[in-house]
Amino acid sequence: MIRLSPSNCLAAAFTSLALILGGCSSSKSSQRGQELFDLHCAACHQGPTPDLKKQPPRLEHLFAAAQLPSGAPATEAQVRKTIVEGLRTMPAFDKRLSEQELDDLIAYLRTLK
Amino acid sequence: MNPLMTTRSTQILQTVLAIAVGIAIVPATACTHTKKYPLRGLVLEKNVSTSEITVKHEDIPGFMLAMTMPYKVKDAAVIAELQPGDVIAADVVTANNGNDYWLEDVRITDESARKITKPVAVHRLDVGAQVPGIPLTNQDGTSFRLGDFKGKALLVTFIYTRCPMPTFCPRLSGQFAKIHGDLSKTPDDLAKTHLVTISFDPKYDTPPVLRKYGLAYLDDNSAGFSHWDFASTNPSDLRKLADAFGLEYFEEDNQISHTMDIVLISPAGKIVKYWATEWTTAELEDALREQAKAGKTGQQPQAQKRAG
Repeated sequence: MIRLSPSNCLAAAFTSLALILGGCSSSKSSQRGQELFDLHCAACHQGPTPDLKKQPPRLEHLFAAAQLPSGAPATEAQVRKTIVEGLRTMPAFDKRLSEQELDDLIAYLRTLK
Repeated sequence: MNPLMTTRSTQILQTVLAIAVGIAIVPATACTHTKKYPLRGLVLEKNVSTSEITVKHEDIPGFMLAMTMPYKVKDAAVIAELQPGDVIAADVVTANNGNDYWLEDVRITDESARKITKPVAVHRLDVGAQVPGIPLTNQDGTSFRLGDFKGKALLVTFIYTRCPMPTFCPRLSGQFAKIHGDLSKTPDDLAKTHLVTISFDPKYDTPPVLRKYGLAYLDDNSAGFSHWDFASTNPSDLRKLADAFGLEYFEEDNQISHTMDIVLISPAGKIVKYWATEWTTAELEDALREQAKAGKTGQQPQAQKRAG
């Protein structure tokens, strides 16, 4: 049983504050990620793009499945690798997105439903 | 006053008219599947003969990153009015799933830096000229020249592997992949034609990068490289080759702004035709087959007669 002591109250208050701030930060990151998505990804992944060799997959529920459309594990590391190095006919974004931008983009991809 | 500059009263009138016209044309727009994206940028060049302006523009979310590229402007009066140095706002209108695009509702928002210049002329090799003998290196590290394919009809284009614009390099490579696949069905067509894709980005697009890129478009069948080369050259020779084919490009923040060009070269090694703004995969494939057939029979093909 948790007893309400002054120290527990203080800890709870800090935890709540951290969650609120964390939530705000995550939301801002996702918002920046959406701007990056609209700029770099939407034209292909939200096609149609008839003259491309292959229609790129839609990215809703990307992290909900066990595997990415490529068959690789649906992990953040794999998604980051795919964006940076490219995959098959998907171009590499190597040197064109900062680490922060990659974080923001992935944060937004996690929200795509 | 500049006729393209908008005053507050005309803006209000335009808004009312736009709403009225918008209501009237909604059904038509829905049928033609056009999309509009707002553009803001600086006019660098204009070319009256091709009805194009080259604009250094900001990011256009959903359509294009910030870059410098040519856009068609269908209204000749607008082209006549615009000058290099003008800051503009406009709508990029796309149709045919983004493969066709042009500017509409062009407004000059700042003309203080404009400079009156002569229209820019593209100085590329004439149709009928011999293809330049600039050395290239392919995906296997093998050197070759465009003139090495005598006896074959040749289709050449330019891309860079990191290009993220689906209506630019990925589209060109997708179209070449379709042409390669179609020609591969007939051994004679395969033997009498060749495709070459040349990179604008020799620093990044090394032979191993080009090989990986090429295999993705060849369904991992490396035998396809005998019919389709992916090549690069040193920066100095790339500039010479681009000038010869009338291409413009420059690098900025790991992004290469460039114009597009597809060049058809005859089995005799002469330039037959350029496509720079509008083409279809079928049109390219037909022209290539026609050239290949002409090379075999010695007849002058229709495409060569029409060109120029």
